This record gives sequence, structure tokens and C-alpha cells, in this order.
Amino acid sequence: MSKQWHSVMKAGELEDGEVAAARIGDMPLAVFRLGEQVFALHDLCSHGNARLSEGFVEDGCIECPLHQGLFDIRNGCPMSPPVKEPVASFPARIEGDDIQVCL
Amino acid sequence: MQDSDYIFREHDLDRFRWPDADYAHTPYRVFKDSAIYEREMEKVFRGPTWGYLALEAELPEAGSFKSVMLGNTPVVVSREEDGSFSAFVNRCAHRGATVVREEFGKADTHACIYHQWCYSSAGDLVGVPYRRGVSGKGGYPKDFKPAQHGLRKLHVESYKGLIFGSLQNEPGTLMAYLGPHIKEHLDRILVKPLKVLGYHRQRISANWKLYFENIKDPYHAGLLHMFAATFGTYRSTQEGYTLVSDGGGHSIVYSVMGTDDHDSVSEHYKDVKDKYQTDFQLNDGTLLQWTPDFDDGIGNLIISVFPNLVVQQILNTLATRQVRPLGPDGMELVWTFFGFEDDDDTLTDDRLRQLNLVGPAGYISMEDGEAIRLVQQAIQGETDATSFIQMGGLGPIVDADHVVTEVCTRGFWKQYAQTMEFAPREEGAPVPEKAHD
Amino acid sequence: MTSPIDGDLYQRVQDLYQNYGHAIDVDDLEAWPEFFTADARYCVIPRENHDRGLPAALIDCRGRPMLLDRVVALRTANIYNIHFDRHLVSPAVITGRDGDVLESRVNFTVMQTDQSGVTRLFAAGVSYDRIRVEEQRLRFLDRRLVLDTYGVPELLATPL
Repeated sequence: MSKQWHSVMKAGELEDGEVAAARIGDMPLAVFRLGEQVFALHDLCSHGNARLSEGFVEDGCIECPLHQGLFDIRNGCPMSPPVKEPVASFPARIEGDDIQVCL
Repeated sequence: MQDSDYIFREHDLDRFRWPDADYAHTPYRVFKDSAIYEREMEKVFRGPTWGYLALEAELPEAGSFKSVMLGNTPVVVSREEDGSFSAFVNRCAHRGATVVREEFGKADTHACIYHQWCYSSAGDLVGVPYRRGVSGKGGYPKDFKPAQHGLRKLHVESYKGLIFGSLQNEPGTLMAYLGPHIKEHLDRILVKPLKVLGYHRQRISANWKLYFENIKDPYHAGLLHMFAATFGTYRSTQEGYTLVSDGGGHSIVYSVMGTDDHDSVSEHYKDVKDKYQTDFQLNDGTLLQWTPDFDDGIGNLIISVFPNLVVQQILNTLATRQVRPLGPDGMELVWTFFGFEDDDDTLTDDRLRQLNLVGPAGYISMEDGEAIRLVQQAIQGETDATSFIQMGGLGPIVDADHVVTEVCTRGFWKQYAQTMEFAPREEGAPVPEKAHD
Repeated sequence: MTSPIDGDLYQRVQDLYQNYGHAIDVDDLEAWPEFFTADARYCVIPRENHDRGLPAALIDCRGRPMLLDRVVALRTANIYNIHFDRHLVSPAVITGRDGDVLESRVNFTVMQTDQSGVTRLFAAGVSYDRIRVEEQRLRFLDRRLVLDTYGVPELLATPL
């Protein structure tokens, strides 16, 4: 199936340094704003059954609420123990008033 | 005997003393008493000792772990990324649950099922759910420091593929603890990388110390184990040696096959009913065909390290035996059988076939389970009586160039009594005040 | 799926298992090796070893002479707790047939009773067997008893 851009929320709903949960079909997403850029990761930690959208944004990383493992918001790479595996990262953009994610 | 009014009737352990400095009389109550058992768990297994945990060969990869018991403390021993070994007490720092539930496995981290507190393989706390609260509410204070809430770690040292741990705060080195005799005989056996062949487990209704008495005692071996006596895997008439550590608690007993003759055996066994049967022939003699691993003719060698390890070489069977107390009246014995990584199929097959000789169903070992159970059974309710341990004479607890002796058993009790602070009082030393009820 | 054997033969298999256990239970140990072919293998292996692919067994008799040696040793050499056994086995499941050799599986339990008349479960497990069908009787070609109760209570002497 070819990829498409989907609108997931209004740009005004997400402030700098925040994260919010969204969904495209069956795919849960954690959507981030850092300055004027937005990012999207699969909203499931690779280490345990936890939602990154419930975690804490700090220094460009998202801290998982379960065991405080860090992922790079930009690309989903694991940044600190106990996480070792990356989470999937999806292209995201602000288009007009909407935040869109490509899936 | 001094203080006899206090030794056997008092419940105050601080007044309890061994009846003699030769350690030739063991008060039977030490096998039964719950207060003594609790003190053992603290002073012996969490005290100035190194306990055997596992073979390195059982933990082949980074993250491999095994759950064991050291006394009554549950311990998990693991291999780290850098190839070293670590061990922690298997109890969550949060509210006390068992963290690792499996007997063995492989994992980068261990999360307690109760609240998902997450620890590294070495026992460091690496993750705490909702540490920062949820939506700004709750959580731990900002000054919460994970480093203060890790699992209690053991000191860990390895020697020749055997991993030991200690719960004492500042134990001496493992090598100092083992001493030269043990080192020499571990060196003799552990010459190459090991390969695990499997496990036997045995649950015996007897106090753990009775098992040590048993394996340190060459006196019984040729008399209780008729199979051994008949086929010469062990007999008191063979050339043999008894080695005991300075502290008394470690020992080595071994015998050399083929060093006694039929006439001397018949003479020495003539008063022992049925123990040496000259007409007893195996229908299948391949059981006892062995190709010696070592070139010194020793067919039967038992190393014991206070407080929980036996290492055996019986023909081609090689094993560690880990002693796990289960209260005063019971114990679990875990046998880990091994060979060498470079054993060919024939040698491995020989080792496996010879397992018929050892373990809980073993031709030359099954009686030990019965003998010590009979002791535990018969001493029920006994408060004052003691055993009599004088085979081989009294006096200093030192090596002997024969195996007709119970000196290793006396040595065990010496190290035990000193570790437990039960050693006989010096002449003229003050007796503690009797505790008031 | 139809059974690989008919009702009569199945009954003979059931009788084999019952008679085997009964012989041991009434201390007719001398009959035990006769339940096996001359080249049979009898192996009791702890389940933890079986499941992990480790080869160490508790008892491993290769050929009837080794079975005979077990009996002679029990009668004349070994000393073990005074007790009597009671075997309870599930109905056999015939899992295959190759000519006159059947593959069979049973769950087994062995109870032990001491001199005070106290019975406890001594062993539970599953046995994977091969049975040779002879005209006069059935015999085990191979018994592999996978022992769930690998924390052996006291010691293992009389056969499972």
C-alpha cells in the first residue's frame, strides 16, 4: 500500500517541547514538537508495554515513563539503558493548520 | 565438662559451647534447633565464607543467568557483557518480591512483576515506573536516587570455571579462603573448558550438615556402599589420603584404584557382613570400564569446600554438588554433571553411562540419602546427647596418609563452631549471664 | 483418524503397562527385566534435562544385562529406604506403528508408602515407549521416562 500523509491533529494543539498521542488506523503514534519541527514515533516502547506519549521530553529525547529509557525524538534511536532497540519513526510535517504524519 | 548445665539445656545461644576442643562430640541438637539454623544462615552463609554459585559453563552468553540459593538467601548469578560475572540477592528493593522467577535464562534486564521496577543484570536499578508521576501528579521526589535502591550485590570471584559468591561486607580473597590443598585439587580436575551434561536433584529429610559429615567421611564409604567395596571404586584398604584445610572446613579425600589385593581386602572385611562379595559379578561390566582423565590412578576423589560445595571425580564422572538447606530438617542437593568441551562422543557416552553409579539413584551413592535421613529421624527430641567422632584418633586436625579416619569430620565441626561462635571457652574465661525469661 | 492397532492388541498393551507396574509393586523385581527385549533401553531422565536437551539421566540401562544388574544390586548391594510402591499409569496412547513395533505414551505416577502406612507421591512424569509385539507377549524395546519429579525425594531405588 502506498504511503500517504494523514492529518493527526491541529498544529495549535501541540506546544514546543510537548508530546501527544494520535492514531492512524491501528497505528498508535507519539507526536512531538521541537521548535517549529514536528516528529512522530510509534507509540510503544521497544523495551516494555508503555506509551511514549505518556513520557517526558527533555533535551531532544523522550523518556519512557515505565523505565526511563531514552529515545531520540528525531529518529527513534535508543539513547540510554535499559532500551536497546529503536522505535519506528515516521515522517511528519506541519501543513497549514495541521500536523501530518506519513504512513 | 565445663558449663554443662548451660550447654545442652539453655536456649540462649550465646551460652552454647562445643563440648570439647577436639570436636569429637557433636551435640545432636545442632541438627534440630531452629534458633541454631537461623544463626547458621546469618553467620555461615552470610558470613565469612565463599559459597559456590554456578559453573561458568552454565552461563554461556552475556545476560545468561541462573537462580540459586546460598543458605536461605535467593541469589541470581549472571554473565555480564564484558564476560565477568555478577550476583545479586533476588529480592526487589521496593517491597520485597522475588524479581527473577525463572531458574535460568537470558535477559538484558529483569523487571519485577509487581511494580515493574527494572534492574540491570548486575542488579542496578535502571527504571522505575511513574518516577516523574503522571500528568504532573504523584511520582517520586526529585531527589530519588536509583543508585540507592539497587539489589544487594554479592562479591563474586571465579576460579577455573567455578563461580563463588560472598555476602560478607569485606571478604578476603577467594584464593585465600580456598587454600593450597583445594586449589591443587581443583587444578587437577579443571584443566580444560567445561561442558554441562545435566542435573540431578535430591531432597533429603536431613540437616544439611549431616551431608557434609557424610561426604567428608571415608570411614563409611567402603562399609555402607557395598557396590563400591566389591568393585573397588572405593575401599578403605586402598592407598588413600585425607587432606584438610587450616580452618578445618575444607577437605579432600581420595583413593587410588588397584592398590589393595584380594587377601588384604578379605582379611579386613571379614567381620563386615556381606560387604565384599567375591562372587558378585556384573552382567554388563562395561559400566565400570573407564579411560582415566588423569594419569595418577585416582578413581575416587571428593573435594568439599565449606559451607556448600562438593566437587567429585568418580571414575569418569565429574560433578559439582551444591548443598541448599531447607530448614533444620531438610536439604536439597543439586548435582551438576560436566565433561570437557573437547570430549569425543565415546568419552561423553562413558561419562553418561557411569552416571548410573552416582546421584540419587546411584549404585555407589544412593545409600547416603538413607543414612543421613536415619540420623535425622533418630535424633528427634534429643537435647543432651552427642555423637562420637574418634576414628583415626583425637588431637590436631591435620592431613593423614590413609582414609581410615574421621579427621575431616572433626575439621568441619571446628570451622563450623568457630564461625558460629560456639567454640569451647578458654580456661578461666567468663561465662555470660544467664538470660532472664 | 483410526487407531493403528485393533482392540485386542490395545488391550494387550494396557495389560503390559499394568503388569509391569504390579510386578514392581509386589516386589517381584526379578520379573522386571523380563518386560524388556534383550537389547532394550530403559532411561529415567529428569524433565529439566529433557526439556533443555541435556543428556544426563538418573538411570540408564542399555540392554537387559544392565537391567539385571539393577535388580541384583538392589537385592544384595544397595541399601535404601524401606517402602513399597504403587504404580498408577494413564491409559496408553498409541502414537505410531512400524511393523511389529508400536510407539506408545503414558503418564505415570508412583506412590511410595513407608512402614507407618504413610503414602506420598514419589514420582510423576510421562513415558515415551516402543513396544515389540511378539506372539507370546509384548515387551518394551525402549522406555524413556521423563521425570517431572526431578527433585527426587530421598533417593531412587526401585524402578519407576
